[in-house]
Amino acid sequence: MSWDGHEAPDTRALLEIARTTLMEAVIPALTGDARFKALMVANAMAIARREDGPAAAAVHAAVRELGDVAALCAAIRAGAHDPGSADHDRIAASLRALAEARCRISAPKALG
Amino acid sequence: MDKPALAAWLGAEITGMALLSGGAIQQNWALDVLAGGQAQRWVLRTDAAATLAVSRSRAEEFHLLRAAHAAGVTVPEPLRLCTDRSVIGAPFFIMRRVDGLAAAHRVVRSETLAGGRQALVAALGRELARIHSIVPPRADLPFLGEPASDPCRRFVAAMRVLLDAGRLPRPMLEWGLRQLEISAPPPAATVLCHNDFRTGNYMATEAGISGILDWEFAAWGDPHEDIGWLCARCWRFGGPGEVGGVGPRAPFVAAYEAASGRRVDPARVAWWEIAAAIRWAVVAIDQAERHISGAEPSLELALTGHIVPELELDVMRAVMARAA
Repeated sequence: MSWDGHEAPDTRALLEIARTTLMEAVIPALTGDARFKALMVANAMAIARREDGPAAAAVHAAVRELGDVAALCAAIRAGAHDPGSADHDRIAASLRALAEARCRISAPKALG
Repeated sequence: MDKPALAAWLGAEITGMALLSGGAIQQNWALDVLAGGQAQRWVLRTDAAATLAVSRSRAEEFHLLRAAHAAGVTVPEPLRLCTDRSVIGAPFFIMRRVDGLAAAHRVVRSETLAGGRQALVAALGRELARIHSIVPPRADLPFLGEPASDPCRRFVAAMRVLLDAGRLPRPMLEWGLRQLEISAPPPAATVLCHNDFRTGNYMATEAGISGILDWEFAAWGDPHEDIGWLCARCWRFGGPGEVGGVGPRAPFVAAYEAASGRRVDPARVAWWEIAAAIRWAVVAIDQAERHISGAEPSLELALTGHIVPELELDVMRAVMARAA
Protein backbone atom coordinates (compact mmCIF):
# COMPACT_ATOMS: atom_id res chain seq x y z
CA MET A 1 0.00 0.00 0.00
CA SER A 2 1.35 3.40 -0.96
CA TRP A 3 1.89 6.00 1.72
CA ASP A 4 0.78 9.60 1.14
CA GLY A 5 2.67 10.98 4.12
CA HIS A 6 -0.44 11.93 6.09
CA GLU A 7 -0.96 10.38 9.47
CA ALA A 8 -4.38 8.79 10.00
CA PRO A 9 -7.02 9.38 11.21
CA ASP A 10 -7.90 12.00 8.58
CA THR A 11 -10.01 15.19 8.70
CA ARG A 12 -13.33 13.40 8.59
CA ALA A 13 -12.46 10.75 11.14
CA LEU A 14 -10.98 13.30 13.54
CA LEU A 15 -14.02 15.57 13.29
CA GLU A 16 -16.29 12.60 13.85
CA ILE A 17 -14.59 11.31 17.00
CA ALA A 18 -14.05 14.83 18.35
CA ARG A 19 -17.73 15.64 17.90
CA THR A 20 -18.83 12.35 19.45
CA THR A 21 -16.65 13.08 22.47
CA LEU A 22 -18.04 16.61 22.71
CA MET A 23 -21.64 15.36 22.56
CA GLU A 24 -21.22 12.41 24.91
CA ALA A 25 -18.61 13.53 27.43
CA VAL A 26 -18.62 17.34 27.48
CA ILE A 27 -22.03 18.79 26.68
CA PRO A 28 -23.96 16.75 29.30
CA ALA A 29 -21.82 18.42 31.97
CA LEU A 30 -22.52 21.95 30.72
CA THR A 31 -25.37 24.35 31.41
CA GLY A 32 -26.51 27.76 30.25
CA ASP A 33 -24.46 29.80 27.84
CA ALA A 34 -21.54 27.34 27.80
CA ARG A 35 -23.90 24.52 26.80
CA PHE A 36 -25.47 26.68 24.08
CA LYS A 37 -22.01 27.54 22.70
CA ALA A 38 -20.84 23.92 22.87
CA LEU A 39 -23.90 22.83 20.90
CA MET A 40 -22.98 25.44 18.28
CA VAL A 41 -19.45 23.98 18.17
CA ALA A 42 -20.92 20.50 17.66
CA ASN A 43 -23.14 21.84 14.86
CA ALA A 44 -20.17 23.52 13.17
CA MET A 45 -18.18 20.28 13.35
CA ALA A 46 -21.08 18.32 11.82
CA ILE A 47 -21.33 20.78 8.92
CA ALA A 48 -17.56 20.66 8.39
CA ARG A 49 -17.61 16.85 8.33
CA ARG A 50 -20.43 16.80 5.75
CA GLU A 51 -18.50 19.33 3.61
CA ASP A 52 -15.86 16.61 3.23
CA GLY A 53 -18.17 13.95 1.83
CA PRO A 54 -20.50 12.89 -0.99
CA ALA A 55 -22.85 15.85 -0.47
CA ALA A 56 -20.12 18.21 -1.68
CA ALA A 57 -19.89 16.31 -4.99
CA ALA A 58 -23.66 16.65 -5.39
CA VAL A 59 -23.41 20.43 -4.87
CA HIS A 60 -20.61 20.74 -7.43
CA ALA A 61 -22.58 18.68 -9.97
CA ALA A 62 -25.72 20.78 -9.43
CA VAL A 63 -23.75 24.02 -9.86
CA ARG A 64 -22.07 22.72 -13.05
CA GLU A 65 -25.51 21.98 -14.48
CA LEU A 66 -26.46 25.65 -14.09
CA GLY A 67 -23.52 26.88 -16.20
CA ASP A 68 -22.63 30.56 -15.70
CA VAL A 69 -24.49 31.29 -12.47
CA ALA A 70 -24.08 35.08 -12.57
CA ALA A 71 -25.47 35.16 -16.12
CA LEU A 72 -28.31 32.88 -15.05
CA CYS A 73 -29.18 35.25 -12.20
CA ALA A 74 -29.32 38.21 -14.61
CA ALA A 75 -31.50 36.23 -17.02
CA ILE A 76 -33.89 35.18 -14.25
CA ARG A 77 -34.20 38.79 -13.13
CA ALA A 78 -34.81 39.94 -16.71
CA GLY A 79 -37.67 37.46 -17.04
CA ALA A 80 -36.00 35.16 -19.58
CA HIS A 81 -37.01 32.06 -17.60
CA ASP A 82 -40.50 33.08 -16.49
CA PRO A 83 -43.29 30.50 -16.33
CA GLY A 84 -44.20 29.52 -19.89
CA SER A 85 -40.65 29.95 -21.23
CA ALA A 86 -38.93 26.95 -22.82
CA ASP A 87 -36.55 26.08 -20.00
CA HIS A 88 -38.56 27.30 -16.98
CA ASP A 89 -39.29 23.82 -15.67
CA ARG A 90 -35.75 22.54 -16.24
CA ILE A 91 -34.17 25.49 -14.42
CA ALA A 92 -36.66 25.30 -11.55
CA ALA A 93 -35.82 21.61 -11.11
CA SER A 94 -32.07 22.31 -11.25
CA LEU A 95 -32.32 25.10 -8.68
CA ARG A 96 -34.34 22.90 -6.38
CA ALA A 97 -31.78 20.09 -6.77
CA LEU A 98 -29.00 22.55 -5.88
CA ALA A 99 -30.91 23.80 -2.83
CA GLU A 100 -31.42 20.20 -1.69
CA ALA A 101 -27.75 19.34 -2.22
CA ARG A 102 -26.70 22.41 -0.23
CA CYS A 103 -29.06 21.37 2.56
CA ARG A 104 -27.41 17.93 2.70
CA ILE A 105 -24.35 19.81 3.98
CA SER A 106 -25.79 22.76 5.90
CA ALA A 107 -29.16 21.51 7.17
CA PRO A 108 -30.01 17.87 6.42
CA LYS A 109 -33.03 18.05 8.73
CA ALA A 110 -34.65 20.44 6.24
CA LEU A 111 -34.86 17.55 3.75
CA GLY A 112 -37.03 15.42 6.03
CA MET B 1 -21.25 50.77 32.29
CA ASP B 2 -20.84 53.87 34.49
CA LYS B 3 -23.22 53.03 37.32
CA PRO B 4 -22.89 56.25 39.34
CA ALA B 5 -23.57 58.36 36.22
CA LEU B 6 -26.56 56.19 35.38
CA ALA B 7 -27.92 56.38 38.94
CA ALA B 8 -27.55 60.16 38.89
CA TRP B 9 -29.41 60.43 35.58
CA LEU B 10 -32.14 58.10 36.82
CA GLY B 11 -32.40 59.89 40.15
CA ALA B 12 -32.64 56.47 41.70
CA GLU B 13 -30.52 54.03 43.66
CA ILE B 14 -29.44 51.00 41.60
CA THR B 15 -29.80 47.89 43.75
CA GLY B 16 -29.15 45.33 41.02
CA MET B 17 -27.92 45.26 37.45
CA ALA B 18 -27.30 42.29 35.14
CA LEU B 19 -26.97 41.77 31.39
CA LEU B 20 -30.16 39.99 30.27
CA SER B 21 -29.35 39.31 26.65
CA GLY B 22 -26.52 40.40 24.46
CA GLY B 23 -28.17 40.47 21.06
CA ALA B 24 -26.04 41.12 17.99
CA ILE B 25 -27.67 44.53 17.75
CA GLN B 26 -28.92 45.54 21.18
CA GLN B 27 -28.09 44.94 24.81
CA ASN B 28 -30.73 44.61 27.50
CA TRP B 29 -29.85 45.12 31.15
CA ALA B 30 -32.11 44.13 34.01
CA LEU B 31 -32.16 47.04 36.41
CA ASP B 32 -33.48 46.91 39.96
CA VAL B 33 -33.79 50.35 41.48
CA LEU B 34 -35.18 52.25 44.41
CA ALA B 35 -36.94 55.32 43.03
CA GLY B 36 -38.80 57.59 45.42
CA GLY B 37 -38.61 54.89 48.05
CA GLN B 38 -40.26 52.35 45.73
CA ALA B 39 -38.59 49.20 44.40
CA GLN B 40 -38.89 49.11 40.60
CA ARG B 41 -37.97 46.46 38.06
CA TRP B 42 -36.80 48.01 34.82
CA VAL B 43 -34.94 47.13 31.65
CA LEU B 44 -32.27 49.36 30.14
CA ARG B 45 -31.97 48.88 26.38
CA THR B 46 -28.96 50.19 24.52
CA ASP B 47 -26.88 49.53 21.41
CA ALA B 48 -24.35 46.73 21.19
CA ALA B 49 -21.11 47.29 19.32
CA ALA B 50 -22.39 46.44 15.87
CA THR B 51 -25.52 48.27 14.79
CA LEU B 52 -27.24 47.33 11.56
CA ALA B 53 -27.77 50.31 9.30
CA VAL B 54 -31.36 49.18 8.65
CA SER B 55 -32.32 49.04 12.31
CA ARG B 56 -33.93 51.94 14.12
CA SER B 57 -32.16 53.99 16.77
CA ARG B 58 -32.98 53.55 20.46
CA ALA B 59 -34.75 56.92 20.40
CA GLU B 60 -36.93 55.82 17.49
CA GLU B 61 -37.65 52.50 19.18
CA PHE B 62 -38.72 54.36 22.32
CA HIS B 63 -41.21 56.46 20.33
CA LEU B 64 -42.53 53.32 18.59
CA LEU B 65 -43.02 51.64 21.99
CA ARG B 66 -44.91 54.69 23.22
CA ALA B 67 -47.19 54.63 20.17
CA ALA B 68 -47.77 50.88 20.58
CA HIS B 69 -48.46 51.23 24.30
CA ALA B 70 -51.00 53.98 23.58
CA ALA B 71 -52.65 51.77 20.93
CA GLY B 72 -53.19 49.05 23.52
CA VAL B 73 -50.46 46.70 22.33
CA THR B 74 -49.05 44.62 25.19
CA VAL B 75 -45.54 46.04 25.44
CA PRO B 76 -43.17 46.77 28.31
CA GLU B 77 -44.21 50.30 29.28
CA PRO B 78 -41.58 52.76 27.98
CA LEU B 79 -40.53 55.14 30.78
CA ARG B 80 -37.59 57.38 29.89
CA LEU B 81 -35.25 58.03 26.99
CA CYS B 82 -31.65 59.23 27.26
CA THR B 83 -29.97 60.45 24.08
CA ASP B 84 -27.01 61.97 25.98
CA ARG B 85 -24.04 59.74 25.18
CA SER B 86 -22.07 61.03 28.14
CA VAL B 87 -24.17 59.03 30.63
CA ILE B 88 -23.33 55.42 29.64
CA GLY B 89 -21.57 55.96 26.32
CA ALA B 90 -24.56 55.30 24.04
CA PRO B 91 -28.22 56.30 23.84
CA PHE B 92 -30.57 54.12 25.90
CA PHE B 93 -34.09 53.95 27.20
CA ILE B 94 -35.77 52.55 30.26
CA MET B 95 -38.86 50.36 30.18
CA ARG B 96 -40.67 48.28 32.74
CA ARG B 97 -39.49 44.69 33.07
CA VAL B 98 -42.14 42.10 32.24
CA ASP B 99 -42.10 38.45 33.17
CA GLY B 100 -42.51 35.64 30.73
CA LEU B 101 -40.90 33.18 28.39
CA ALA B 102 -39.48 34.37 25.08
CA ALA B 103 -37.11 31.54 24.03
CA ALA B 104 -38.65 30.33 20.78
CA HIS B 105 -37.71 26.65 21.07
CA ARG B 106 -39.48 26.46 24.44
CA VAL B 107 -42.48 28.55 23.39
CA VAL B 108 -43.29 26.23 20.47
CA ARG B 109 -43.07 23.14 22.70
CA SER B 110 -45.46 24.42 25.36
CA GLU B 111 -49.05 23.15 25.41
CA THR B 112 -50.11 25.52 28.19
CA LEU B 113 -48.38 28.85 27.59
CA ALA B 114 -50.87 31.75 27.39
CA GLY B 115 -53.75 29.33 27.86
CA GLY B 116 -52.69 26.84 25.19
CA ARG B 117 -51.96 26.87 21.49
CA GLN B 118 -55.34 28.14 20.22
CA ALA B 119 -55.48 30.89 22.83
CA LEU B 120 -51.90 31.96 22.15
CA VAL B 121 -52.37 32.35 18.39
CA ALA B 122 -55.66 34.22 19.00
CA ALA B 123 -53.81 36.56 21.38
CA LEU B 124 -51.13 37.08 18.72
CA GLY B 125 -53.89 37.97 16.26
CA ARG B 126 -55.31 40.58 18.64
CA GLU B 127 -51.87 42.06 19.36
CA LEU B 128 -51.07 42.34 15.66
CA ALA B 129 -54.47 43.94 15.01
CA ARG B 130 -53.66 46.61 17.62
CA ILE B 131 -50.26 47.24 16.05
CA HIS B 132 -51.94 47.59 12.66
CA SER B 133 -54.41 50.11 14.09
CA ILE B 134 -51.53 52.60 13.93
CA VAL B 135 -51.76 54.18 10.47
CA PRO B 136 -50.11 57.14 8.75
CA PRO B 137 -49.78 60.04 9.06
CA ARG B 138 -48.36 60.18 12.60
CA ALA B 139 -46.63 63.34 13.78
CA ASP B 140 -44.98 61.39 16.63
CA LEU B 141 -43.33 58.94 14.21
CA PRO B 142 -41.74 61.22 11.59
CA PHE B 143 -38.71 58.93 11.22
CA LEU B 144 -40.91 56.34 9.50
CA GLY B 145 -41.02 58.60 6.45
CA GLU B 146 -43.59 58.45 3.69
CA PRO B 147 -45.24 55.04 3.16
CA ALA B 148 -44.15 53.21 0.02
CA SER B 149 -46.75 53.44 -2.74
CA ASP B 150 -46.26 49.74 -3.51
CA PRO B 151 -44.82 47.66 -0.62
CA CYS B 152 -44.47 44.46 -2.69
CA ARG B 153 -42.45 46.06 -5.46
CA ARG B 154 -40.43 48.03 -2.93
CA PHE B 155 -39.58 44.73 -1.20
CA VAL B 156 -38.39 43.08 -4.42
CA ALA B 157 -36.29 46.12 -5.33
CA ALA B 158 -34.75 46.39 -1.86
CA MET B 159 -33.76 42.70 -1.81
CA ARG B 160 -32.13 43.01 -5.24
CA VAL B 161 -30.05 45.96 -4.06
CA LEU B 162 -28.81 43.85 -1.13
CA LEU B 163 -28.11 40.81 -3.36
CA ASP B 164 -26.17 43.01 -5.78
CA ALA B 165 -24.01 44.21 -2.88
CA GLY B 166 -23.15 40.61 -1.97
CA ARG B 167 -20.05 38.71 -3.04
CA LEU B 168 -21.85 35.75 -4.64
CA PRO B 169 -24.71 35.14 -7.06
CA ARG B 170 -27.79 33.69 -5.34
CA PRO B 171 -29.83 31.97 -8.06
CA MET B 172 -32.50 30.44 -5.81
CA LEU B 173 -33.20 33.81 -4.17
CA GLU B 174 -33.27 35.49 -7.61
CA TRP B 175 -35.75 32.83 -8.72
CA GLY B 176 -37.98 33.50 -5.74
CA LEU B 177 -37.80 37.29 -6.18
CA ARG B 178 -38.71 37.06 -9.86
CA GLN B 179 -41.71 34.84 -9.04
CA LEU B 180 -42.78 37.37 -6.41
CA GLU B 181 -42.32 40.24 -8.83
CA ILE B 182 -44.59 38.74 -11.50
CA SER B 183 -47.23 37.73 -8.95
CA ALA B 184 -47.17 40.88 -6.79
CA PRO B 185 -50.65 41.88 -5.60
CA PRO B 186 -51.65 45.54 -6.03
CA PRO B 187 -51.08 47.91 -3.09
CA ALA B 188 -53.67 47.71 -0.32
CA ALA B 189 -53.86 49.18 3.17
CA THR B 190 -50.85 50.88 4.77
CA VAL B 191 -50.31 50.26 8.49
CA LEU B 192 -47.49 50.18 11.02
CA CYS B 193 -45.73 46.84 10.47
CA HIS B 194 -43.63 45.54 13.35
CA ASN B 195 -41.44 43.72 10.79
CA ASP B 196 -40.04 41.19 13.24
CA PHE B 197 -43.30 39.89 14.72
CA ARG B 198 -42.43 36.23 15.31
CA THR B 199 -42.00 33.62 17.99
CA GLY B 200 -38.91 34.61 19.99
CA ASN B 201 -39.86 38.29 19.91
CA TYR B 202 -42.79 38.15 22.31
CA MET B 203 -42.94 37.11 25.93
CA ALA B 204 -45.74 35.03 27.38
CA THR B 205 -46.73 33.57 30.72
CA GLU B 206 -49.30 30.87 31.44
CA ALA B 207 -51.84 33.72 31.68
CA GLY B 208 -51.18 35.32 28.29
CA ILE B 209 -48.85 37.47 26.22
CA SER B 210 -46.84 39.74 28.49
CA GLY B 211 -44.92 41.80 25.95
CA ILE B 212 -44.28 42.31 22.24
CA LEU B 213 -40.56 43.02 21.92
CA ASP B 214 -37.93 44.17 19.41
CA TRP B 215 -39.45 47.06 17.52
CA GLU B 216 -36.30 48.13 15.73
CA PHE B 217 -37.46 47.16 12.22
CA ALA B 218 -40.93 48.74 12.36
CA ALA B 219 -42.03 50.59 9.24
CA TRP B 220 -45.13 51.51 7.23
CA GLY B 221 -46.21 48.57 5.11
CA ASP B 222 -48.82 46.03 4.06
CA PRO B 223 -50.43 44.29 7.08
CA HIS B 224 -49.94 40.92 5.35
CA GLU B 225 -46.19 41.43 5.60
CA ASP B 226 -46.29 40.87 9.38
CA ILE B 227 -48.66 37.89 9.03
CA GLY B 228 -46.40 36.26 6.42
CA TRP B 229 -43.34 36.77 8.63
CA LEU B 230 -45.10 35.24 11.66
CA CYS B 231 -46.37 32.23 9.68
CA ALA B 232 -43.32 31.56 7.48
CA ARG B 233 -41.86 28.07 7.80
CA CYS B 234 -38.48 29.51 8.78
CA TRP B 235 -39.90 31.00 12.00
CA ARG B 236 -41.66 27.89 13.33
CA PHE B 237 -38.65 26.57 15.27
CA GLY B 238 -39.71 22.97 14.69
CA GLY B 239 -43.07 23.63 16.33
CA PRO B 240 -46.27 21.98 15.10
CA GLY B 241 -48.34 25.09 14.30
CA GLU B 242 -48.27 27.12 11.09
CA VAL B 243 -48.60 30.36 13.09
CA GLY B 244 -45.16 30.89 14.60
CA GLY B 245 -44.75 27.16 15.23
CA VAL B 246 -47.38 27.59 17.94
CA GLY B 247 -50.86 26.87 16.62
CA PRO B 248 -53.24 26.73 13.65
CA ARG B 249 -54.11 29.61 11.35
CA ALA B 250 -57.91 29.67 11.79
CA PRO B 251 -58.09 31.04 15.36
CA PHE B 252 -55.28 33.50 14.62
CA VAL B 253 -57.03 34.86 11.52
CA ALA B 254 -60.44 34.97 13.25
CA ALA B 255 -59.04 36.95 16.18
CA TYR B 256 -57.08 39.29 13.90
CA GLU B 257 -60.07 39.96 11.66
CA ALA B 258 -62.43 40.52 14.60
CA ALA B 259 -60.05 42.94 16.33
CA SER B 260 -58.89 44.83 13.24
CA GLY B 261 -61.94 44.85 11.02
CA ARG B 262 -59.55 43.89 8.19
CA ARG B 263 -59.84 40.78 6.04
CA VAL B 264 -56.83 38.50 5.76
CA ASP B 265 -56.12 37.56 2.14
CA PRO B 266 -54.47 34.09 2.12
CA ALA B 267 -52.86 34.74 -1.29
CA ARG B 268 -51.17 37.87 0.07
CA VAL B 269 -50.03 36.00 3.16
CA ALA B 270 -48.52 33.28 0.92
CA TRP B 271 -46.71 35.97 -1.08
CA TRP B 272 -45.22 37.48 2.08
CA GLU B 273 -44.26 34.04 3.43
CA ILE B 274 -41.98 33.53 0.41
CA ALA B 275 -40.77 37.09 0.91
CA ALA B 276 -40.01 36.22 4.56
CA ALA B 277 -37.69 33.34 3.59
CA ILE B 278 -35.90 35.59 1.09
CA ARG B 279 -35.58 38.46 3.58
CA TRP B 280 -34.20 36.18 6.32
CA ALA B 281 -31.76 34.63 3.80
CA VAL B 282 -30.48 38.07 2.77
CA VAL B 283 -30.03 39.05 6.43
CA ALA B 284 -28.31 35.73 7.19
CA ILE B 285 -25.90 36.23 4.27
CA ASP B 286 -25.07 39.68 5.62
CA GLN B 287 -24.57 38.40 9.18
CA ALA B 288 -22.29 35.57 8.02
CA GLU B 289 -20.32 38.09 5.98
CA ARG B 290 -19.45 39.94 9.19
CA HIS B 291 -17.65 36.79 10.32
CA ILE B 292 -16.21 35.84 6.90
CA SER B 293 -14.76 39.33 6.35
CA GLY B 294 -12.99 39.15 9.71
CA ALA B 295 -14.85 42.22 10.97
CA GLU B 296 -16.51 40.29 13.79
CA PRO B 297 -15.29 36.70 14.30
CA SER B 298 -18.21 34.77 15.79
CA LEU B 299 -19.32 31.14 15.67
CA GLU B 300 -22.96 32.23 15.85
CA LEU B 301 -22.55 34.52 12.82
CA ALA B 302 -20.61 31.79 10.99
CA LEU B 303 -23.41 29.27 11.54
CA THR B 304 -26.03 31.81 10.49
CA GLY B 305 -24.62 31.51 6.97
CA HIS B 306 -25.50 27.82 6.96
CA ILE B 307 -29.18 28.70 7.47
CA VAL B 308 -29.24 30.09 3.91
CA PRO B 309 -29.56 26.73 2.06
CA GLU B 310 -32.70 25.69 3.93
CA LEU B 311 -34.23 29.11 3.27
CA GLU B 312 -33.45 28.64 -0.42
CA LEU B 313 -35.16 25.25 -0.27
CA ASP B 314 -38.19 26.88 1.44
CA VAL B 315 -38.34 29.37 -1.43
CA MET B 316 -38.05 26.72 -4.15
CA ARG B 317 -40.64 24.47 -2.51
CA ALA B 318 -43.12 27.30 -1.99
CA VAL B 319 -42.70 28.71 -5.49
CA MET B 320 -43.05 25.27 -7.11
CA ALA B 321 -46.09 24.43 -4.95
CA ARG B 322 -47.76 27.66 -6.05
CA ALA B 323 -47.07 26.94 -9.70
CA ALA B 324 -48.35 23.36 -9.51
